[in-house]
Amino acid sequence: MESRTPTMQRITIDPITRLEGHGKIEIFLDERGEVANTYFQIPELRGFERFCVGRPVEEMPVLTNRICGVCPEAHHMAAAKAADAVYHVTPPRPARLLRELLYSGFYFTDHTTHFYALGGPDFIVGPDAPLAERSILGVVRKVGLEIGGQVIQARRSGHRVVEIIGGRGVHPATAVPGGMTKGITEEQRAEIEAIGHWAVDFARGSLEIFDRIVLQNPGYRELLEGDAYTDRTYYMGLVDEGMHPNFYEGRVRVVAPDGEPLGTYDPAEYTDWIAERVEPWTYLKFPYLKRVGWKGFVDGKDSGVYVASPLARLNVADGMATPLAQAEFERFFATLAPQPSAGGRHGMVHNRLATHWARLVELLYAAERLVELATDPEITSDDVRAVPTATPTEGVGTVEAPRGTLTHHYWTDDRGLITRVNLVVGTTNNYAPISMSVRRAAQSFIHAGTVVTDGLLNRVEMAFRSYDPCFGCATHSLPGQMPLEVTIHDADGGIVDVLRQHC
Amino acid sequence: MHTAPGDDTTLVLGLGNPILGDDGVGWRVAEALEARIAREGRIDSPRGALPPRVEIDRLSVGGLRLMERLIGYRRAIIVDAVETGTAPPGTVRRVRLDELPVPGQERLASAHDSSLAAALALGRSLGAPLPESPWVVTVEAELGIEVGDRLTAAVEAAIPVATTAVLEVLAQDEARGDEGGTGSCTS
Repeated sequence: MESRTPTMQRITIDPITRLEGHGKIEIFLDERGEVANTYFQIPELRGFERFCVGRPVEEMPVLTNRICGVCPEAHHMAAAKAADAVYHVTPPRPARLLRELLYSGFYFTDHTTHFYALGGPDFIVGPDAPLAERSILGVVRKVGLEIGGQVIQARRSGHRVVEIIGGRGVHPATAVPGGMTKGITEEQRAEIEAIGHWAVDFARGSLEIFDRIVLQNPGYRELLEGDAYTDRTYYMGLVDEGMHPNFYEGRVRVVAPDGEPLGTYDPAEYTDWIAERVEPWTYLKFPYLKRVGWKGFVDGKDSGVYVASPLARLNVADGMATPLAQAEFERFFATLAPQPSAGGRHGMVHNRLATHWARLVELLYAAERLVELATDPEITSDDVRAVPTATPTEGVGTVEAPRGTLTHHYWTDDRGLITRVNLVVGTTNNYAPISMSVRRAAQSFIHAGTVVTDGLLNRVEMAFRSYDPCFGCATHSLPGQMPLEVTIHDADGGIVDVLRQHC
Repeated sequence: MHTAPGDDTTLVLGLGNPILGDDGVGWRVAEALEARIAREGRIDSPRGALPPRVEIDRLSVGGLRLMERLIGYRRAIIVDAVETGTAPPGTVRRVRLDELPVPGQERLASAHDSSLAAALALGRSLGAPLPESPWVVTVEAELGIEVGDRLTAAVEAAIPVATTAVLEVLAQDEARGDEGGTGSCTS
């Protein structure tokens, strides 16, 4: 790629995969060739509500996990919880434990995959490494085949937990209104416990790798602590009564950029807290905090833009519910935000690239939680379902998807047939902050006369990759590439050049 | 990391999302193959009856998870919808995976995963037994982001064509015996 002159006014990064959807980043430059603004656009799945209307609500946990091939378990759980609420039924404790155990196995797999297959290429291999090296293969070359084998083992272990409890390794099917269709045997419990112990070691090893390769590298430390990836926004996440993150249940806590808690709410009250901003240039709707208000794509305490992500969950928490993860939580904040917040809480970490570290802290928590839940005396109980008897009406189910707070909201008639559906998926929460992060990165790395190199575009891409965005309709992809199209426009909007890779 | 079936079973994998319109065609072809086996107790291919060493499954995921599903099989046929824009909807093609026109094989597949090619390379580097180069039977589709469990007419009509294409690949690999086959075949 060659040197660009300041006369070019618009850069479009167009990551298109067949089913991930046609995500696009547009970067507008001013007359001097400086970044004036950026726009992030992705398609949303259409027709889902129409597809669901008229179907029995108990089908939703199986149906909605088809929405997305990336986090079917998250949709399965949110749908089951929403269906519980529609039928006004609370599953027995053993059923809730089993769901959370399945979910912990899923988290363990998902976070492992993101770190090694996505974060790894950026950090372990390096943002300026040749394109061909920036893949999980490059990561394995760097960290060694033994770790590569462990990554595959980690994925298999998490899938195994999902399979034991969910009945299938992909697209689990056992969560139903009121609980689960089956429990687990002592033998299965013991297998999951053993997986959990192994998982704890693997997660600790992953944190050591992050420490050695990322934290001890001055260049990466600069990225992690600099301003290029930093926006001071609100954060959101599910917490338990002790204000620790919980992926499966709890209240939603919202914390301001300066660390002051704005409050907590029951997930069923989400419409009291969240509103959606409509912009003329896109059909995407940008959620924001009602109580703070929409002030545009800006950060700060007066702007209602919030983030829901691993970083957000750590920022809103007062600690972790498991001991090893708690120690890592303390190290995370002591390293990146050593000054306490005004209200006495831990400091706030706003650099989006720190999300990768936060994800590893959560990985360790998920692993420890596997052991905790697998050794709960009630986990092998047969009391796994409260059969619904009340007339179904309306219900909300919320879980933390790996990539943000996920809410399913269903309305039914008195026979339990769906009449209306609303979903707020994890990535939706982050539309505005993703746009802002991309703009911030572009402003930092693109200047007049900048050579538009592959590494530079990757640094802009890194901004949204840290959010682990899910494009809603994703299932799989053959041949499986993420093409980038960079369209550069002049001051009149005419196309000067189109740079392509993988398309 | 072996989930090997223990023989030289060929895995036929219908890939896609069954509630995303034409993307569901891979599942429908898998279903058509199963229906034929259930009905006839065997599959008659254009070159004669096939041996029963065929396993049929469906999957909605790519990258690493797809690679993991292929572990233990020496031969695999993946049926999937594609949108190349180079042929009318309903066009059926068969190619080797490594012949798919994709530059930069190691690039990320999606925002979440590796490409299948990178995943296969990773699996092999870790010593996993994987198919040398899986066949891919593709159906040109009109891929949208509209939820629905129906195929468009042209793609629906392609199901028997794609099913026959799978049978031909099976017969061809069978004729090659244990060589595994490295040649190309396009139609």
